[in-house]
Amino acid sequence: MSKSFDLLVDGMIDALRAHVLPKCSDDFARGQVFSIIFALNGLKLAADWRAGPLLEELQLQDAAFSEVRRLADKMDHPPIPATPRVETGSTDPVRLEALRDEGDRQLGELLFWATSGSTRAANYAAAKEIERAVRGFMRAQLKVEIGITAKSMLHQIATGEEQQR
Amino acid sequence: MQQIKRSDDIVHTAAGPPSCKIVDDNVMQAALAVHLGKKFGNEVEIASFARKSSGFSWITYSFVARSPSAPDRKLILRVGPSNGLFAPYSVLPQVYALQSVARTHVPVPGLVTFDQDGAEVGLPFFVCEHVEGDVPAPWAASLLDEDHRRGIAEQFIAILGELHTLDWKATPLALLNGAANERGEVGAIVTWRASLARPTARYYPLLDWGGRWLEENCPVPPRRTVVHGDYRIGNFLEDKQRITAILDWELTHLGDPHEDLAWALMPTFNAGSRKFYGVIERDEVIELYQKASGIPVSRKSLAFYEAYALYQAAAIQMCAVRAFEVDRFNDMRMAVMATQMASIVRAFDRALEAVA
Repeated sequence: MSKSFDLLVDGMIDALRAHVLPKCSDDFARGQVFSIIFALNGLKLAADWRAGPLLEELQLQDAAFSEVRRLADKMDHPPIPATPRVETGSTDPVRLEALRDEGDRQLGELLFWATSGSTRAANYAAAKEIERAVRGFMRAQLKVEIGITAKSMLHQIATGEEQQR
Repeated sequence: MQQIKRSDDIVHTAAGPPSCKIVDDNVMQAALAVHLGKKFGNEVEIASFARKSSGFSWITYSFVARSPSAPDRKLILRVGPSNGLFAPYSVLPQVYALQSVARTHVPVPGLVTFDQDGAEVGLPFFVCEHVEGDVPAPWAASLLDEDHRRGIAEQFIAILGELHTLDWKATPLALLNGAANERGEVGAIVTWRASLARPTARYYPLLDWGGRWLEENCPVPPRRTVVHGDYRIGNFLEDKQRITAILDWELTHLGDPHEDLAWALMPTFNAGSRKFYGVIERDEVIELYQKASGIPVSRKSLAFYEAYALYQAAAIQMCAVRAFEVDRFNDMRMAVMATQMASIVRAFDRALEAVA
């Protein structure tokens, strides 16, 4: 179970208990809510965060690290982790999520470094190339996350009404 | 997860940890009666007390204040919850804004009373007059006809021009934090950067890096004006094809007028359309605004503030994430706001490319 999955399921159950049940006076409807809470508790035990997208993001980060290592050759740069960071067959979402988050921080440091005045002064062409590469891999990573994002329901969430078509 | 007693209403209780303080509607109603009684020097009965909206930030109630010696008054109470989206809250930006524009052509509800310390209520709050009107939803295509929307859009732009020409130095807005800072618009970016720097589960490097870029490349404003801070479809009331009140002044500050214009033009607030309110092309919006305000619009500054608008949108989403993950605000709307982060960060990155 990943930390974010756990938090999300707990939040759903908490919101149903705190916000929905107190406003729900119909016995049948209350039974439906309790059934959903029961099902969510079951999901917590049985389901898991999908490892596939996390692995895809980690591969993109690894590719970014390799590219920066190549471009920053002989430059004084922040630490770049050895790649690949995940052994074949690893599917533990807690570990993958932690590695992804750590990778984001390390790539952030590299981007700040590449766009700093001192790095640009040392090797402008390489610095610009690193910036371009890192931002490109970050964009690709965002695309993976967008691919697993449900369509926005902001109107319904904010107004409590179905969107009229 | 922390187990605490919760109800649909936020129950103000000294027993819970500060981040989980909740407000009970009944307690709120009784406390308000005490406050208004002192304010009006009369016993006040609070009738028809009801939560009015399901906003993401301030809690809004409508009610009728009844006293033996005066006619009934329909009023609005707005309370800043201790665990809301932008907690801890200050009523002062809204109070100063309502006081400052009260005698201008910018329509606002009349301010009745406020209390930053919340002596009786326990939380910062203010009370204003009820204004008739409906709030148009910004996220879905409007069912109103085009002529109707065009009329509203033109009024909306004209009011923005009026706001930006206000001589704020002679108003309570001069008391705002940072009013003495000549580069106050940079201060707004710094504030969001600080908000994003607070620990949360996810770190978005492009957002962090882009925030620094904004801070370092913030243009000098053509004129330092009042900035509403959340000027968009959905933050005003309209009645019989007239805008009757501009609402939600909580992000009011002094800065660059391009900020309000860029925020209002965001497709998110125009049902996904690049046209303002789905009816007015951007070029025409700029033309109408320039005519109304006399302030020349710089395309470069507008592009900068379009990037800034996405940065602010991302920062607001992260406030929601933090409220859910860290402060354990048990509102699932906060949790799901996080799911849109990747799209916003990507749009922000594209906007940065456009302005750089």
